[in-house]
Amino acid sequence: MTSHTEAIDARDIANLGQLRDLFAHADPVPSDLAERMKFAITVHALHAEVAELMDSALLTTRGTDAKVEPTPTDSVTFTAASVSLMVSASPSEQADTDARVRVDGWVTSPGAQVEAVTIEGSVSQISDANGRFVMDDLPHGPVHFVITDPDDDDVRPVITPTIQI
Amino acid sequence: MTPTPTAPDGLGTRAGKAFAAYIAGDRERLSELVDLVTPVLWNAARSQGAAAPMCEDAIQTAFLQLVDRAESIKEPAAVLGWLVVVVKREVWRLSRGSRREIGVDEVPEAPTQQLDPESQSILSERQRVLWQHISTLTPRCQELLRVIAFADRPDYAAIAESLGMPVGSIGPTRGRCLQKLRTTLGSDPGWAV
Repeated sequence: MTSHTEAIDARDIANLGQLRDLFAHADPVPSDLAERMKFAITVHALHAEVAELMDSALLTTRGTDAKVEPTPTDSVTFTAASVSLMVSASPSEQADTDARVRVDGWVTSPGAQVEAVTIEGSVSQISDANGRFVMDDLPHGPVHFVITDPDDDDVRPVITPTIQI
Repeated sequence: MTPTPTAPDGLGTRAGKAFAAYIAGDRERLSELVDLVTPVLWNAARSQGAAAPMCEDAIQTAFLQLVDRAESIKEPAAVLGWLVVVVKREVWRLSRGSRREIGVDEVPEAPTQQLDPESQSILSERQRVLWQHISTLTPRCQELLRVIAFADRPDYAAIAESLGMPVGSIGPTRGRCLQKLRTTLGSDPGWAV
């Protein structure tokens, strides 16, 4: 006989493992819940304005099969009250393979700081006098952009929804 | 890097380390924390019997409160338990709108765990047997076992406490809930492999 005062053993852990499988199967965590939580946290922490996705072309719906397409150049436009952002993705010229992504962007404000947040972390560029910027070494996968005014901390940052590149 | 001879950290410890790094300025570690704890929080919320959208709202509120109060949280290592407390409280606060009989100061008790018929229909035969045995446990034991099943052994005691169970109800000893599960499964000849 076993008692409730004994230490938890391998059989208890196995029972809990089965219980975990049962609930993970019957009532799974929504697959995008963690990503949505991260987005909500970022918007909240930045007191940011969320830009609207205006024009999604193929970029948002395309999954990991993006790698096999030879010359994908898809563009997406985001719009917020203060600023619009257009980005297009293509294979990076830096790499021999299609493992990396080049993003060409255009933002309606010159001198804006545009930050791309990917699974690897974040990369920032300042848009030029025409509002253009290039990020040439991004990973495939989810990315969202945060646009801030480096000269004025009082301007609310703008954050875009996450897209797949 | 040399391999450490100690046991791997539990979920709560890893979450605590990510949160401590976040507070110290490594802002990207928060994403790791979210990935680590979301399954536990989802099950803590769903085990209160609330609908999925309400559970998502409760989890989001808990994360936003964590970010707002990050600097004032005294024990970053206890972040998992802190989040479980807030999620459970928040589910009950949200559901009070529709179920007014629940008093503000009452310690809410989770209902018997339910699976909708659609979910039950996708269970394997063995999972159906397990579900029948789980259904014989008290609601408190069902809630506790469901939530700790998504964590690691070193976390059981802290999670039990966060759910309002008495100290010592589980971990490092088996405790009554895990013992009951073991006994009921052990008494079923159909369960033994």
